[in-house]
Amino acid sequence: MKCPRCDGNKIEVIATSPVGNVWEVYECMDCFYSWRSTETPHIHDKFKLKKEQIDTLQVIPPIPPLDK
Amino acid sequence: MAKVYQDLRSFLSTLEENGQLVRIKEEVNPEPDIAAAGRAAANIESGPAVLFEKVKGYPYSVVTNVHGSWANHALMLGMDKTATTKEQFHEINRRWDRFPVKPEILKREEAPCKENTIDKAEDINLFELLPLYRINDQDGGFFLSKASIITADPNEPDNFDKLNVGTYRIQVKGKNRVGIQALAFHDIAIQLEAAERKNEKVPICITVGNSPLVTYMASTPVMYTQNEYEFVGALQDGVPTQIVQSDLYKNLYVPAGSEVVLEGYIEPRVREVEGPFGEFPGSYSGSRRQCVITITHVTHRTNPIFENLYLGIPWTEIDYLMALNTSVPLYQQIKRDFPEVQAVNAMYTHGIGCIISTKVRFGGFGKEVAFRLLSTPHGGSYSKIIIIVDEFVDPFNLPQVMWALTTRVRPDKDVVVIPNCPGMPLDPSSYPAGMHSKLIIDATTPKDPEPNPREVELLEPPVGYEKYEALIRKLMSEM
Repeated sequence: MKCPRCDGNKIEVIATSPVGNVWEVYECMDCFYSWRSTETPHIHDKFKLKKEQIDTLQVIPPIPPLDK
Repeated sequence: MAKVYQDLRSFLSTLEENGQLVRIKEEVNPEPDIAAAGRAAANIESGPAVLFEKVKGYPYSVVTNVHGSWANHALMLGMDKTATTKEQFHEINRRWDRFPVKPEILKREEAPCKENTIDKAEDINLFELLPLYRINDQDGGFFLSKASIITADPNEPDNFDKLNVGTYRIQVKGKNRVGIQALAFHDIAIQLEAAERKNEKVPICITVGNSPLVTYMASTPVMYTQNEYEFVGALQDGVPTQIVQSDLYKNLYVPAGSEVVLEGYIEPRVREVEGPFGEFPGSYSGSRRQCVITITHVTHRTNPIFENLYLGIPWTEIDYLMALNTSVPLYQQIKRDFPEVQAVNAMYTHGIGCIISTKVRFGGFGKEVAFRLLSTPHGGSYSKIIIIVDEFVDPFNLPQVMWALTTRVRPDKDVVVIPNCPGMPLDPSSYPAGMHSKLIIDATTPKDPEPNPREVELLEPPVGYEKYEALIRKLMSEM
């Protein structure tokens, strides 16, 4: 299984339906996109992520320098 | 004495009694049904709260659009559901001055939020507690859009005034792991910075499903040193709100009636991909690297109700929630310096659009009031389109505002654009993101020493019109 957003292949099942056996939730451990097995994820081009892009995304809020 | 709610459930009962809550008993799918209902309820005049009793795969219920109409907003204040926006604005202002009203601290055994406890991190599973679902199609995951989040000042952890209750979006990333958006200008970021300088965790409580005024105040911009719980008591017209100590942190207090309380900590100096998420200006904010929280302890009511809000192209529930809680603090701040100000309507996109009604003390006064708005902390960054109207124009009555624009504006002298000012990055027309040009339209009548060469006399209502208003309403209700 590949991540619909970043094409990563480190996918984990983070949840199964507590009632009945009706869905699972998957999460990509590279970009943390998550989706349910009942969804058909279709990520628009502007929201797709390449692994290299992740390290360039804005950091909110900025991490301050450590006190001496 | 106006009705007061110490939890969500009692408010839902009142909504239902007043025809402002509908129940969907049939089983629905988490996507896209719950968000679709949130959008639909916002499209309906006087939209009700929508409670889903059965969501496929989940044990518990979810409710959306709780704040999503003026009728619901009025009932939140204990007013009649027909109270107008302006009436609610003035009532909130009247109660605002009762601040501070110290909250009532309950014992653990008295607090409904402590009915059930999960005290081992490995036993925590958010998917078992809350019917999580995707709100907007391109969101990066399942979000909590309405949680009230409590943190303290790391340098003064026992300072109750500096306890912060705020609403920040939360992305669920695992059974007991979530992301949080802590924008740099929000109070939580002040506390986070102090902790991260020392590489310390930030103790945090995320509470879901609260009394409507707690959620209201959590999303209101108040001063860093003002405790939101003390405002809830003020808005309850003097009735203290009930809170209880969290289990893990003696200095953190949560609403006693919360449906679900998640206790944990922000991991210091960690940022992970978060988002996208559909935001209040009606478009998505993209992915950024934001903070992460580990949840280690949970308490919750039996059969907890998941309260969440839909946000889309305005207006949706979030617009009603933010409407007057943006307008009132701005009114309070501006009125302190200019008592001539009658009312402030900062309801458009969290105050990016603002209409202020004022008496005109002297020539050019309208512009002075606009400058005062632009020098408030919230107005400075957010407000971009500012319209100033006379005291006889109701700024909440848009047809009247249009009348003022069409009959009291000379564009050659009354319209100014001030370039290169601070702006709101989530406004998609802010460019660069975080910069605005400000537009001021002065629609007030000229006053000395400004000449008014076309002075006119306004049409006063005929004598006795109030009597006829009451009579006509009465006759219509009897038909």
